[in-house]
Amino acid sequence: MNDATRPVVHGLVNSGILQRLFLTLGGFSIRVSHAAVGLILPLGVLGLWQFAVIHEWIAVQLLPPPELVWQSLQDLWESGDLTHHLSVSLSRIGWSVLIGSSIGWLLGFSVALSKTARAYLYPSFEVFSQFPVVGWIPLLIIFLGIDEGLKIAAISIAVVVPVTVATYKGISNIPRNLLEVAQVYRFTRSQVLLRVVLPAALPSLFSGFRQGIMQAWLALVFVELLASSEGVGYLMGYARLLMQLDLVFVGVIVIGVIGVTLDLSLSFLESRLQSWLHTVHGEAK
Amino acid sequence: MNLIHLIRNRDWRWAVLPLTLLTVWYVVTTLGWVNTKLIVPPEKVYQAAVKAISRDGFMEGVEASLMRDMSGFVIGSFAGIVFGVLLGLSRWTERIVGPTFNTLKHISLFAWLPLISTWLGTGDSAKIVFISLTTFYPVAINTFDGVRSVPRTQLEVARVYAFTRWQSITRLIVPAASPQILTGLHLGLIYAWMATIGAEFLLVTADTGLGDAVIKGRAAFNVELIVFGMLIIGLVGALLNFIATRIESHLLAWRGDRT
Amino acid sequence: MAHAATLEIKNLNKQYKVRGESLPVLENISLSIKPGEFVSIVGSSGCGKSTLLKLIIGLEDDYQGELLLDGSRIVGTSLERGIVFQEHRLFPWLTVEQNISIGLLNNTKFSEEEKRKSVQEHIELVGLKDFAGAYPYQLSGGMSQRVAIARALVNRPEVLLLDEPFGALDAFTRAFLQQELQRIWEKEGITMIQVTHDVEEAVYLGDRVVVMQPRPGRIKRIIDVPLPRERNRSSAEFIAIKEEVLREFSHTADASAGLIEKAASNEEYSHSNELSYQA
Ligand SMILES: Nc1ncnc2c1ncn2[C@@H]1O[C@H](COP(=O)(O)OP(=O)(O)OP(=O)(O)O)[C@@H](O)[C@H]1O
Ligand SMILES: [Mg+2]
Repeated sequence: MNDATRPVVHGLVNSGILQRLFLTLGGFSIRVSHAAVGLILPLGVLGLWQFAVIHEWIAVQLLPPPELVWQSLQDLWESGDLTHHLSVSLSRIGWSVLIGSSIGWLLGFSVALSKTARAYLYPSFEVFSQFPVVGWIPLLIIFLGIDEGLKIAAISIAVVVPVTVATYKGISNIPRNLLEVAQVYRFTRSQVLLRVVLPAALPSLFSGFRQGIMQAWLALVFVELLASSEGVGYLMGYARLLMQLDLVFVGVIVIGVIGVTLDLSLSFLESRLQSWLHTVHGEAK
Repeated sequence: MNLIHLIRNRDWRWAVLPLTLLTVWYVVTTLGWVNTKLIVPPEKVYQAAVKAISRDGFMEGVEASLMRDMSGFVIGSFAGIVFGVLLGLSRWTERIVGPTFNTLKHISLFAWLPLISTWLGTGDSAKIVFISLTTFYPVAINTFDGVRSVPRTQLEVARVYAFTRWQSITRLIVPAASPQILTGLHLGLIYAWMATIGAEFLLVTADTGLGDAVIKGRAAFNVELIVFGMLIIGLVGALLNFIATRIESHLLAWRGDRT
Repeated sequence: MAHAATLEIKNLNKQYKVRGESLPVLENISLSIKPGEFVSIVGSSGCGKSTLLKLIIGLEDDYQGELLLDGSRIVGTSLERGIVFQEHRLFPWLTVEQNISIGLLNNTKFSEEEKRKSVQEHIELVGLKDFAGAYPYQLSGGMSQRVAIARALVNRPEVLLLDEPFGALDAFTRAFLQQELQRIWEKEGITMIQVTHDVEEAVYLGDRVVVMQPRPGRIKRIIDVPLPRERNRSSAEFIAIKEEVLREFSHTADASAGLIEKAASNEEYSHSNELSYQA
């Protein structure tokens, strides 16, 4: 080590940067080892599965070998079938979330902001929200047939309920004193809405949106299992009829992966929203 | 509760919307403006209801569905509470089981049904297993959160009074986590009913059940039966929700008048 | 009568880890407490009084030095040692009566009948007879603190630690409970260590008053109170001792330094909370 670098190293040591570096490295290795521990169970199950298949404990029709599942997943992917069914399912989700959350926000905002709207609409909505979504579907089938309209309608209903409730609760739980501040400064109605209500209710609006998407995901698989000729749920139901359990497993895996991806991206968005709100507040100071 | 409140305040505005819908329904069907095969008149629904209730079969179906619902709910919530407490108490269990659990919970519930029905058939056992699974997730998640948020200060009190491990669990951790556990159970109850009807729709059998009756009504294009069945499904859902809310507020009276 | 214990504290040091750095909280504390003695501890906020009690009760075992009870090292908690925490720490899902019974849950010395009687006596002692069936949310801060005192006393420990037990009480109740505490102490011969911010209370109850100073927490001085009981708060000797303690106090923390220290310690405390959430 030459003389020129010595003070720098000294500085590093003194300022505790190295210490902190070691701490982060330590934290990293702890995290890696935790992840490894988390893999024990799935790997164990996979091993047991393989073992059971090799020793023919369970009939192949009831428990396909892991590599067959993997093979089917690849085949399905390469043939483009998987992408096709997936894109059908995802576009259903997309449309329904768009329609459902628009209705939900509209309804939520009106009952939250207007006492009259609340008096007329909210009790009926509360009764409506007690109906399990799946209960609507036979009736919807009568009216809409089993076409795209049915899926969009059913999934949208699943979205409307959590979005409306979260919007209404989010707005009516805004602290009174914030609104009083707005009153003191004689904000206009639109100013109150844009500068107080919206930012204060944003986190719960978003969490309602998130719940809505998760409910949509639940309802989608149900409708596709019940009445559909495309989509991931259909794929599974069809495979089950043909006793192709490898395909059923593929369906479970795909649905799991999409579920995790949806959840991760939504929590990412949520944290971004949170930090954005913080910076906005910071600037306001 | 809400209804009583509304009646006492003599605010009848809530009735406008349902009454309007009912009137429109009645008018358009009696005047024959719509296809009455598709949109059946209210009185036909009423007749279907009378027939369904008097004829044996339908009410047995409701009963059978409720039995499934309750069996699944009890099994699922018991498993969920035990699992949530274990996961919350033991770091090692959490490290080993937690990641798998957190991944599996993202699998849309109905996706399990094809697998379950392949292994267990379409009878009661498959349905009850599915309903238990549906109940299990919200109960386990909320129990875990509740156990994890027991304040350290209260755990210290337990140590000062030499609580055994079992005493700590039964006298401190479970009661302290009870608000969240009850939230989980409430959610579980709502989900279980949805799962019951959903499973009965999807796993068609010769069994009786509310869902079976409705789905058979669909096959026979018996619209009035579908409408009546739907009303019963909603009614049972609302009733379960109401009971859960009452039990919850009774059990959590110690928290004072929080709303 | 409880068999009171000798408590020996030798060169006690305690640090807390805050963000990977160690923060000294107690430094070189040495104190010997005779069986049946009443020791008052005073000191500015954040000087480690609660931490000291936590070590004696056995809730923390990460320290240097020695903590001996009747010659043997303190390991973990024991029903022989009781504590009234600075915050009341009642279980919100239990009624007043049930909360007090918690103190006797694992007591093997009393029969069930004795336990029931003892709980009733203590409810009356702290003047909450009409609230026996009430839940903590229905109580005021002072009432909750009285329940906590009853919960600690009901077990008749050999050593009783009290962390500002009367802080939230009105002057009248406070004076009454001071009397009662003194009566129980005299009758049962329990060794008592009480932390208080009230210098008059410290002198009124204590055989000795330990004055602590902050950053890190040390014993500044120990002042004897050689007055016979019942003590007269307005006697010249009493007032003289009180003045002496107060003088030590003002040396320790002249107003501004004390404030800064308090702010700093609060900050550290909140950091440590964050840390424990992440862990
Ligand atoms: N769990 C903890 N982790 C980190 N630091 C802590 C912890 N508990 C206490 N401290 C720190 O130890 C110091 C002493 O705290 P302690 O509670 O013993 O003070 P105290 O003398 O009882 O004060 P007060 O009179 O305000 O009750 C404070 O600086 C505090 O920030
Ligand atoms: Mg303290």
